Amino acid sequence: MDISFKNVSYTYQPNTPFEHRAIHGLSFKISSGSFVAIVGHTGSGKSTLIQHLNGLLRPTIGQVTIGGFQLSSEKKLKQMKELRRRVGVVFQYPEHQLFEETVAKDIAFGPSNFGVDSEEISRRTLEAIKAVGLPEPLLERSPFDLSGGQMRRVAIAGVLAMNPEVLVLDEPTAGLDPRGQTEVMDMFYQLHQQKQLTTILVTHSMEDALHYADHVIILDHGTKYMEGKPEEVFVKKKELNKVQLDVPEVIQFLFKVEKKFGVRLTYHGQGLNEIANELHSIIKGADSIE
Amino acid sequence: MRESFIEFRNVSFRYGEEQPWVLKDVSFVIYPDEWVAIIGHNGSGKSTIAKLINGLLFPQEGEIFVDGVHVNQDSIWDVRKNVGMVFQNPDNQFVGTTVRDDVAFGLENRGIPRQEMIDRINTSLTAVAMNDYFLHEPHRLSGGQKQRVAIASILAISPKVVILDEATAMLDPKGKLEIMRTITEVQDKLDLALVTITHDLNEITLADRVIVMNEGQVWLEATPREVFTKKEELRRIGLDTPFISKLADELISIGLVFNNHPLSHEELLEELWTYHSKM
Repeated sequence: MDISFKNVSYTYQPNTPFEHRAIHGLSFKISSGSFVAIVGHTGSGKSTLIQHLNGLLRPTIGQVTIGGFQLSSEKKLKQMKELRRRVGVVFQYPEHQLFEETVAKDIAFGPSNFGVDSEEISRRTLEAIKAVGLPEPLLERSPFDLSGGQMRRVAIAGVLAMNPEVLVLDEPTAGLDPRGQTEVMDMFYQLHQQKQLTTILVTHSMEDALHYADHVIILDHGTKYMEGKPEEVFVKKKELNKVQLDVPEVIQFLFKVEKKFGVRLTYHGQGLNEIANELHSIIKGADSIE
Repeated sequence: MRESFIEFRNVSFRYGEEQPWVLKDVSFVIYPDEWVAIIGHNGSGKSTIAKLINGLLFPQEGEIFVDGVHVNQDSIWDVRKNVGMVFQNPDNQFVGTTVRDDVAFGLENRGIPRQEMIDRINTSLTAVAMNDYFLHEPHRLSGGQKQRVAIASILAISPKVVILDEATAMLDPKGKLEIMRTITEVQDKLDLALVTITHDLNEITLADRVIVMNEGQVWLEATPREVFTKKEELRRIGLDTPFISKLADELISIGLVFNNHPLSHEELLEELWTYHSKM
């Protein structure tokens, strides 16, 4: 589903002493099937933004369009339930929301709320547990007996079982061990491609944004600060530093190589082995540069 | 021989009789001025270790000593005077309405006289570079600033060890950097042991020593450099190596030889430079 924000502002507790404008004059477009990273320091408005994507918040000013659904301050969306079925949100630490007796029941909770029949639910539960890389026998266990990483996957499976078209991920790897982080991100990327989802990733990790996204939106104080292709946005060190962000580590390192050896290496998504080869030829051939 | 500050002697722990062992026969020591990073996959027992050190939990088997005191029901209040803890979510640890009040809280609980309290608040907020924020509301600070105030509150009670349990996990990159800079400085200046429990690979490279946990057991105790030479084994137990270490491995695989396995950008650049001048 195509998504667009047109001049969107959101104010918490308007006309009270606690009034707080979290996003302001925000406009952007996300085309169907893309993988977009939303990046910004703590308090830049990321969480407020994503709560508009499934109608948890309605804009105070402006208009949000998600496929055929429109959100604005003027009128309540009648098909809110339908919107929420099609936009799946994985919130921060989603495992805190597990509550059922068994993993299977927890995964089934979402679809059964949307009136999916029980045969279809079992089919989807099975599919979802496989998609998150957990063994089938786990379905009959209590989610609370699982490890942190497994609980996270069960919670994600619950979102996948709704068959969403848009997947919104709010810091999905926070608190996971390094291997878990890679596995979970690779899993989302695979799902994104297989199911042709529109994926929106909110992250503090410039590395993940660079690695997985094809478009990056950078927020600062509730407004859009920059947007573009990751390899174009993430080289702008000065601009990023100004909003408390930094360039990804690989690009930082390439900058330092340029400073020391006087040779520019540009990052274009190449792997570490390729970078190693490029470095090798620099140290071999540097004589000619001096 | 150096006197140990924290000592685990054959410690085993589980949350209930029917439950699996979270820690199995764990023994290690931490010295008074050391920075030790404890790492391990989710569920490897890292956070349980932190809770055992200050008596939030007690082991079923084995013994734990902090500054020579056996940690048990009777000694926990003495032990906790020496052990400060900073947790993951800064919002969960604030009590005061201003930064100053928040730091004062721990001191009031200990009945510290007013003048000394003022001095300690000044010193500890200066140590974390938050002395310009005395009257700010903690909730309005950035993530990194909040954690710095949390660290100041701990420093004010002058503990002998500070434990940071995933204290940077929820912070943005700038916040992470602030905290790392703060604790490096604090550890340099004050006479203090530091235990950081973390998944952040770059954070680990700063520690003096690393304890790697795997399935409730100590898998390895070594310097960060030694730990990160074991990339295959680390991956097998749910961990990984930092970017620089990975890049160095790629360079090694195409024939480069390093004197020291590089851990920081500067070290790798230096090694490359040495190569370059030899060519």
